[in-house]
Amino acid sequence: MNSLWGNIFKGTGEHEESVLSVLGEIPVFEGLSKRELRAVERIMHHRHYNAEEVIFGQNVQGLGMYIILTGKVAVINEPTGQVIAELEKGEFFGELALLDESPRSAAAVAKTHCSMLGFFQPDLISLTESNPKLGVKVVTALARVVGRRLRATNEQLQTAHEELVRLRGLKED
Amino acid sequence: MEHTTGRILKIIITTAIIAACIYVLSLFGDLVRLLLISALLAYIMDPMACYLESRGLSRGAATLVIFLLILAVASVGVAYLVPSIAMEMQSVELDVTAEKASDMLVQAEKTLEDRLYFLGVEDLSLQEKVQELVTSAGDQLYSYFLKAGALLTNLLIIPFIMFFLLKDMREIKKKLISFVPNRYFEFSLSLLHRSDEQLGGYLRGTFIESLVIGILSMGALLSLDIKYAVLLALLAGLANMVPFIGPLVGAVPALLVAFLGTGDYLSVVYVALAYLIIQLIDNVVLKPLVVGRMVSLHPITVLLVVIVGGRLFGILGMFLSVPVAGIIKVIAEEAVRNFRKYRFV
Repeated sequence: MNSLWGNIFKGTGEHEESVLSVLGEIPVFEGLSKRELRAVERIMHHRHYNAEEVIFGQNVQGLGMYIILTGKVAVINEPTGQVIAELEKGEFFGELALLDESPRSAAAVAKTHCSMLGFFQPDLISLTESNPKLGVKVVTALARVVGRRLRATNEQLQTAHEELVRLRGLKED
Repeated sequence: MEHTTGRILKIIITTAIIAACIYVLSLFGDLVRLLLISALLAYIMDPMACYLESRGLSRGAATLVIFLLILAVASVGVAYLVPSIAMEMQSVELDVTAEKASDMLVQAEKTLEDRLYFLGVEDLSLQEKVQELVTSAGDQLYSYFLKAGALLTNLLIIPFIMFFLLKDMREIKKKLISFVPNRYFEFSLSLLHRSDEQLGGYLRGTFIESLVIGILSMGALLSLDIKYAVLLALLAGLANMVPFIGPLVGAVPALLVAFLGTGDYLSVVYVALAYLIIQLIDNVVLKPLVVGRMVSLHPITVLLVVIVGGRLFGILGMFLSVPVAGIIKVIAEEAVRNFRKYRFV
């Protein structure tokens, strides 16, 4: 009898554990307990994409982020066709769209068959309404991610500025 | 050219599917009506469940608490309001005896014919027309309210469906949206969210608005000592859910009762004034405060959709036609606005 129930629930339990372990590694869900992660996972959307299927296009209005459970995704600059990044299991993209509905800065295309979790702005709003404590934790973590990215961009800008000044100096010499 | 033909074919097929769905829904009218009422009530109660969840309750516990609250309110209603409504209904039956009603109508007809002679009013045959109206309205009322068995079943089924809809609302929405193809997924989710915001606000606001209108009308009618005050107030509250036409439908019976009950023009004027003031309060205070911004529909559109709703689903269809038309308008507007943003064209 036990083995019967074991067989029925085995797949689901293992799958859930694997999903939770992926979610636990995502900076946006940093510091959440297993119970909280399960609550977040319940409101997320499981989506499947075929190889070469477009997840979203560049400059298309964004609504939220995607977390890769299986497969590979290419982030592409559409006008040039240049691959900016290749992402795989446990990586995420599009998180800025959780904060505003601004156009996507690059396109995302599935390189292989992909299974992903989608977390969108309406889900975040619903979470902050039904579970404000958890909602605040997610929003704070999201703010940390954005802050980190802003710092990195500032550093890149600073380096570029210094490089520009150096090149100007060379030209004047 | 081939692309255009494909598109036209798609539009035709989609339209045919929608038409078939409407036809099937109208065939199962009773079941759809039950589902609609349950869904509507669950939808109105959803923010309360969310609030209870935010206080630490699970969704199931929150739903249970809401049900206990509804049960308590319903018990109070049954204990206090139902006996007085039943008494008023009984009194309507006793008061409007065939002979008395006939006398009143003959008198009203004579007065109208005398005073409005200059307008060409000669043979009104009020008695016949009222008789026809009462018979048809009576038949409809009978089929709606007096089928005790069906009513009892409905009273049991509606809370049952409502409980599960309220408890599992999020999962149901998630399941439904999961059927949308990847290409249209974000667009559909955004559309659902926006429609939800608009419709939710409208329905909950209208619910509170009608409740307040009902209470105000009851206060006014009781203080003016008009008969069947509770019954008329109930009608005023319910009718108020249908824009433009509703307030009129709610007021006319009260004016008639005031006139036929007292025979005094002054009390008719007082009732009319009371209803006017209530409508003023509704439009100046209640609507902006509780209903808020809702997609504005042209009065002619409202009239048409109310008629179509009434034809398809009866009284419930009339109540729901305006919010449904509102949703269609929101979807159409959002679709047009976002079609380019989501690069469908």
